[in-house]
Amino acid sequence: MSYVLAKSKDDAILEAGECGGAVTSIFKYLLDNGIVDGVLALRPEDDIYDGVPTLITDSQDLISTAGSYHCAPTMIGNIIQKYFSDKKIAVSVKPCDIRSIDELIKRHKIDPEKIYTVGLNCGGTVSPIVGRKMIDLFYDINPDDVVSEEIDKGQFIVELADGSEKGVKIHDLEQEGYGRRNNCQRCDVKIPRKANIACGNWGAEDGWTFIEINDDKGQELIDAAKKEGFIETKNPSEQSIEARSKVENIMIKMSKKVQNAKFGDAEAMDAWNRCIACYACRDICPICWCHENCELNKSYFKDDINIPPSPIAFQGVRLSHMSFSCIDCGQCDDVCPMDIPVSLIFDKLQKKYCDRTGYVAGVSDDIKPPLYSPDKVEL
Amino acid sequence: MSDEIKIVGLLCNWCCYGGADTAGTARMQYPPNVRIIRVMCSGRINPSMIFKAFEEGADGVFVGGCHIGDCHYDAGNYKWSRRAKIVQDIIEEFGIEKERFRFEWISASEGEKFQRTMDEFHKTLSKLGPLELE
Amino acid sequence: MFEIKHTLCPSCSVGCGINVILDDGVVVGTFPYKRHPVNEGKNCLNGRNSIKSIDECVESDASVLKDVVKKLESCENDKVTVVFSGNNSNEDLDSIKSFCESKGYQILSYADNLRKFDTSVSYDDIENASNVFVIGNILYENPLIGRRIVHAKENGAKIYVNDDLENSPTANIADEFSSKSVKEFLEINDANFDDESIILFNKVDSFEDLDLFESTNSKILPVYSKSNTKGALKLVEAISKENAVELLNDTEVLLVFNDDIVNYIDFDFKSISTVISFSPYKNDTTEISDFVVPIKSWLESDGSFTNSADLTQEFSSVYESSQNMGIDEIINKINGEME
Repeated sequence: MSYVLAKSKDDAILEAGECGGAVTSIFKYLLDNGIVDGVLALRPEDDIYDGVPTLITDSQDLISTAGSYHCAPTMIGNIIQKYFSDKKIAVSVKPCDIRSIDELIKRHKIDPEKIYTVGLNCGGTVSPIVGRKMIDLFYDINPDDVVSEEIDKGQFIVELADGSEKGVKIHDLEQEGYGRRNNCQRCDVKIPRKANIACGNWGAEDGWTFIEINDDKGQELIDAAKKEGFIETKNPSEQSIEARSKVENIMIKMSKKVQNAKFGDAEAMDAWNRCIACYACRDICPICWCHENCELNKSYFKDDINIPPSPIAFQGVRLSHMSFSCIDCGQCDDVCPMDIPVSLIFDKLQKKYCDRTGYVAGVSDDIKPPLYSPDKVEL
Repeated sequence: MSDEIKIVGLLCNWCCYGGADTAGTARMQYPPNVRIIRVMCSGRINPSMIFKAFEEGADGVFVGGCHIGDCHYDAGNYKWSRRAKIVQDIIEEFGIEKERFRFEWISASEGEKFQRTMDEFHKTLSKLGPLELE
Repeated sequence: MFEIKHTLCPSCSVGCGINVILDDGVVVGTFPYKRHPVNEGKNCLNGRNSIKSIDECVESDASVLKDVVKKLESCENDKVTVVFSGNNSNEDLDSIKSFCESKGYQILSYADNLRKFDTSVSYDDIENASNVFVIGNILYENPLIGRRIVHAKENGAKIYVNDDLENSPTANIADEFSSKSVKEFLEINDANFDDESIILFNKVDSFEDLDLFESTNSKILPVYSKSNTKGALKLVEAISKENAVELLNDTEVLLVFNDDIVNYIDFDFKSISTVISFSPYKNDTTEISDFVVPIKSWLESDGSFTNSADLTQEFSSVYESSQNMGIDEIINKINGEME
C-alpha cells in the first residue's frame, strides 16, 4: 500500500474532471491501449441528478462521464455479475460497489482477473428526488440551475452556471430528514481499499487527485499510465496523508454514532405490516445473485404466502442467507415501493456477526464469510 | 400434561434421535408437546426451517445434534452451530424471544439429558406462553 | 452493447418511470429509475415484470390484414364495435377514435366500471391531506400511490380504509377500517369530508356509486388499472359494465386494440361472430380471436400516457421493431384497402 498524487496530462480532461482528472485519464490509458474492452462508469442522462451506468468503448466519450455524481445512488456489482462476466472491463466503484464485487468474487460470480477497479472515496450519496427537494428548500435555488455538486468539509455544495457556489452543512440537512441516504449516514467504509486504487480529493493539493494504491495490479496501472504519458504523479506530503486520514476518521466516527442511534429501531419494526411481497429488495440485492433459484420461490414459502407476509418467514429467510455479507448499499431501501427501511436490519445483523466473528462484508480478507467455512471451529 | 405448548424438535439421526429413543425405551417421562422430526445431521438444518416452524405455529423449536467432535459427517455440527447463532440473532429482531429456540448436543446414550432438556424447555415455554406473531 | 434506457411503466395508471437494460439491443432486465418524480426508482412486481410480456409475442403476421378488411367490409358498420383501451398511447387513441368515427363503428370505452372525473389531484396532495379515505386495496394494487398514503400517515393524516380484506397492507395502515358498501362508507364519513381531505378508490360496488363522490367536498382520485385510461376518458367517456355487456350482445365484429377484454368482462365472447385482436402479446383475448394482428409493443413505440394524476408523460422507443406495425400504420393500411 502506498500513496501518490496524480493529475491528468490532457487539458480537456483536466477541465472536465474533478480535482486533477486522474480517474478519467487512467480509464483513457486502459481503453487506448486495448487493455480493457470497455469502461463502466456513470453518465448523466437527463440531468446531473440522473446518473446512469454506461459502457464506454471509445475513449473520446470518456469525458461525458467525468465529474462526481452524488445524486446517483447506483449499484454496479450485480450489473457486472449479470452482463459483464465474460468481458474485460474497467469500472469506477464507490466503497459499496467494490464491497459487492468482493462478495461476488468470493462466490465465484466475478473473475477478479477480468476487471480493473478504480475506487472513489465516498462520503455518501443523496437520492435524486430528495436532493432536488432539499436544494429547492434549503438553498433557495432552482435545482434545474445546478450544474454540479460535491460533498466537502461536511457540506453539500452546489455550483451554478455562473460559477457561484452555495453549501449547507450536511448535519443540518440530515436533522431535517434530508441529506444523504440513511444507509450512507450509517456507512463506515469510506475508502474502497479492495479496489486496485482508491482515488479522491481528501488531503489532496488543489488540482491533484490523491490515490491510495491498494495492490500490485493498482501499482502496475499507475506506473504504466504514467509511463505512457496519461498522468503525472508526485509524492504527497506528510500533512496531506494526515489530513486525508483525519477526514476518513471523522466520517467513520459520525457513522458509528448514527449506527448506535438507529439500530434499536430495527427491532419489532411495524413497517413490515405494509410489505406487499414484491421481492424488489431481493431482486435488487447484489449479494442475492441466485434469486432466480431462491428458497423464497419454493412452494413451501411461496404458495400460501400471505400479503403482508410474516416477516420471520420472508425477510428472516433472506437474512439467514446473506445478512452476514450485507454491504449496506441501501438498494433495498431505495427500491421498496412501501418505503420500508429494509437495509437497517440487514446492516445491524452484519455488524452483530462482525462483533462475533470479525468478518466485515466485502472488506475482510478471509476467503469466504466464516459461515461457509469447512473449518472445525465454533464462532 | 395436556397443555397447548407446541414444540418442534429437529433431531440428528445419529445422536439426539437415539437419545430420545433411549429416553423412550427406558420409560423416562418427558413432555409430550414435542413433535420430533428426524434429520440426518444437524448440519442439514437451514435457518428457514426454524422460521417456517415458528410461522406455522410452533411455540418453541429445539435442535439436537451430536457432541462437537462426534459428527457422523465430520463437521456438520460445527456448521450448524455457526448457523444457530444467526438464527438467534434473527428471531430476536422479529419479536420472538431467544429462549424459544434452543439447541443442545445430546448423544444416543444420553436419554436422561434428553429428558432433562425437554423438561426445562417445556418449563421455559410454559412461562413465556404461546407465541403470538404479528 | 450494454445500455440503460428510460421508459414509462405500462402496468397501471400510476405513471411510474422505469429503466430497461438492453444487451445488444435485446431487453434483458429493468433498472431503477431513481430520477423519476412519480416513483423515485421504486417499481412493483407488475411493473418490473412488464418487460417479460415481450417474451410472449403473438405468432401470426400482418398478412391476415386482408382477411380483416374483408370481414369489416362484409359487416354493417353499426354492428362493428371497437374496444377503446387505456393500454394505448394518447396518439394511438386519437387514430383509433377518428377511425371509428369515419366508419361509424361503435366504441366500447370501459374503465374498471369507473368513469371520468373532472378533478385533477396531484400525488403531493395525498401526502399533504389531513384525512385520506381509501376504497380498495390500493397499497397492494397500486403500490406507488399506496406509498403516498404511507407518507400522508407519517405526516399526521388520519387514514380511513374501506375494503373486503381485513389484514391487507392497506388495512394495516388504517386508523379506521371498515368493510361497508361504498355508499354507506361515504355516508358515514360525510362529516369528515373537506377540502383538506382526499378520497382514493380503484373500485366501486356499482356505476351509480360514482355520482356520490362528486357530491362530497373532498378531492377525489380514481385510480385506473391501465396506464392511459385517464387519457382515453378524455376522448371517449366510459360506460358501465352492464352497458358494455349490452353493446357486446349487439356486436357482430369486435375489434380489440391492445387489450385483454376477455380477462375482465364476464361475457360469452364466442357468441360474437368475429373477434379481431391487434396485440403485441398473447393473452386470453388473442386466444379466442379469429384473427390476431401483431403490433408494436410500447417498448418499440413513441407516445405519451396520461396518468391518474392527470400528468401526461412522453416515452420513446427503447429498441427498433423488427417488422411489426404501429396502430396508426395499421389503421392507415386498413383505410387504404377499404377505399
